[in-house]
Amino acid sequence: MGVVTVEAVQSIPVKYDMEVVKWFSVMAVIYLVVGTLLGVYIASELAWPFLNFDIPYITFGRLRPLHTNSVIFAFGGSTLMATGYYIVQRTGAAKLWSNSLAWFTFWGWNLIIVLAVITLPLGMTQGKEYAELEWPIDILIAVVWLAFGLNYIMTVAIRKSSHIYVSNWFFMSMIIMITYLHVVNSLAIPVSLTKSYSIFSGVQDAMIQWWWGHNAVGFYLTAGFLGIMYYFVPKQANRPIYSYRLSVLHFWTLTFGYVWLGAHHLQYTALPDWAGSLGAAISLAMIIPSWGGAMNGMMTLSGAWDKLRTDYILRFLVVSLAFYAMSTFEGPVMSIKTVNALSHYTDWTIGHVHSGALGWVAMVSVGAIYHMVKKLWHTEMYSDSLVNLHFWMATIGAVIYVVAMWVSGIMQGLMWRDYDEYGALSYTFVESVSAMHPYYAMRVVGGVIFNLGTWVMLFNVVMTVRQANVARSTNAVPAKA
Amino acid sequence: MGYLGMDVESMTANDWLGVFFAVFVFTAMIYVYFMALRPANKYKFESRRSMALDDEEHIHVGEK
Repeated sequence: MGVVTVEAVQSIPVKYDMEVVKWFSVMAVIYLVVGTLLGVYIASELAWPFLNFDIPYITFGRLRPLHTNSVIFAFGGSTLMATGYYIVQRTGAAKLWSNSLAWFTFWGWNLIIVLAVITLPLGMTQGKEYAELEWPIDILIAVVWLAFGLNYIMTVAIRKSSHIYVSNWFFMSMIIMITYLHVVNSLAIPVSLTKSYSIFSGVQDAMIQWWWGHNAVGFYLTAGFLGIMYYFVPKQANRPIYSYRLSVLHFWTLTFGYVWLGAHHLQYTALPDWAGSLGAAISLAMIIPSWGGAMNGMMTLSGAWDKLRTDYILRFLVVSLAFYAMSTFEGPVMSIKTVNALSHYTDWTIGHVHSGALGWVAMVSVGAIYHMVKKLWHTEMYSDSLVNLHFWMATIGAVIYVVAMWVSGIMQGLMWRDYDEYGALSYTFVESVSAMHPYYAMRVVGGVIFNLGTWVMLFNVVMTVRQANVARSTNAVPAKA
Repeated sequence: MGYLGMDVESMTANDWLGVFFAVFVFTAMIYVYFMALRPANKYKFESRRSMALDDEEHIHVGEK
C-alpha cells in the first residue's frame, strides 16, 4: 500500500462518514442517563430495601447487572464506537472502509442492549460478572464487535497518512484483546435458548472469569478510553501532546502488562498463592505506565493552564486524568495481599470501581462527546453555563459517592476482622450491614447529583442539535425555479 | 525449594509455555523502554506530537 505523509494530504478534500458517529454520540448520552439512573435506583434499594416492592424483576440481583451492562456496554460501547469511528477517519484522512458495516454495528449494538434490557430483569444470566448475557446474545456481541474491529482495522489500512496515530493503537489493542477475552470467557454449553453452563469449572472458571473481568477494565475501559484521551485532550487544549515517546511507552507497557493482573481479584482463594502474588506484582508495576500516561495528558496543558478557567469541556478531560491517576494507584495498592485482606469483599472495591467509572471513564467520555457535538453539528454548545454546571455536578457527585464507599468499605473490613479477648468476632454480619446505612444513603445522594448532571448534558446536547438544525435550515439557499 | 524455586522435572507443557511468554514479555518490555527512550529516536517520535492537531487542516467533516 502506498502511503503519503500527513502534510501531503492536507489539501485533499475528503467527506467523512460522520452520520453514524452522530447517532452513536447521542445514544451514548441517552445511555449515560439511563445507566446512572439504574445505578441510583439499585443504590437506593441497598439503603432502603422496601424499594424492591417484592417484585422479582426489579430486585437488586437482577437490576445490578442491567446497571453494569448499561453503563459499560451501552454507554461505554456507544462512546467507544462514536469516538473510534471519528478518530480513525480524522487521523488517517480517510473515510470509513465500510459505512454500511458501521451502521450494522450501530443497529447490532443497540439490539444487544435491547435484548439485555429484556433478559436480565427476567433473571436470564450466565452468572459471570460483566458477562451475564446468555449465549445467543454473546454470539451476537462477537459478530458486532468483529464487524467494528474489521471496519476499524481496514480503515487504518486504507489511511492516507504515513503514521498510525497512538490513539488508533490503543483502539486496535482494545479490539483485538476484547475479542479474545469475550470469546474465551463466554465458552459455554447451551442447554436451552436461555440457559447455558460455562465449559470451565472450579478454580479454572474463577481464573477465566477474572482474567476477563480485569481485562474488561484494562482494555475496554482503559485502553479504549486512553485512545480517546490521546486524541481529545490535545484537540480541546489546542496543544500538541506533551510527549509522544511517553505515549508509545504507555501503549506497549499497558498492552504487555495488563493481561497479567486478573489473579489479584482472587487473593486468599483456591487459586495458587503464586498466581495472586504475580497479579499483585504486575499491578504495582503498572503504576509506572499509568502515571506516565496521566502525566502526559496533564502536561499537555503545560503553559496553557489558564484555559481551564474558561474551557469547561477541557475541565472534564483534565479531571478525568486526575481520577485515572488516582484509581490506577489505588487499584495496585488494593491488590497487595495485606491491604486486600482488609479491602476484599467490602464497599472499598465499589468505591474504587466508581472512581474509575465515574471519574475517569464517564468524565473523559463526556468531554469527548461535548467536543464532537460541536464539531459534528458545526456549532457552539447551546449553553456553556450548563456544561459548567454539569462539570460541577459530575465532580461533586463522584466525590461524594467515592468517599462514602471508602469510609463504608474500610469500616466494614475493620468490623469483620475485629475479635474480642476470647477470640470471638466482635460484630455480627448484620451489625456491619446496619452500620453501613448512613453511607449507603450518602452514596445515593452522590449518585443522584451525578445522574442529574447527565440530564443537564442530555438537555444541552438536544438543544445544541436543534439549534444547529434551525441554523442550517435558515441559512439554506432555496433553489431557483 | 523456596518461594521462587522451580521444579523443572515436574513442569508440564503448559508451564513451559508460561515461562516462554513471561520471558518474552519481559524482554519485549526492555526493548520498548530502550526504543522509546533512546535519544537517537527522540525526533522520530516527537515529530508526531501534533498529529491530532494537524487533521483540522485537511479534514472536511460532513457538509461544512
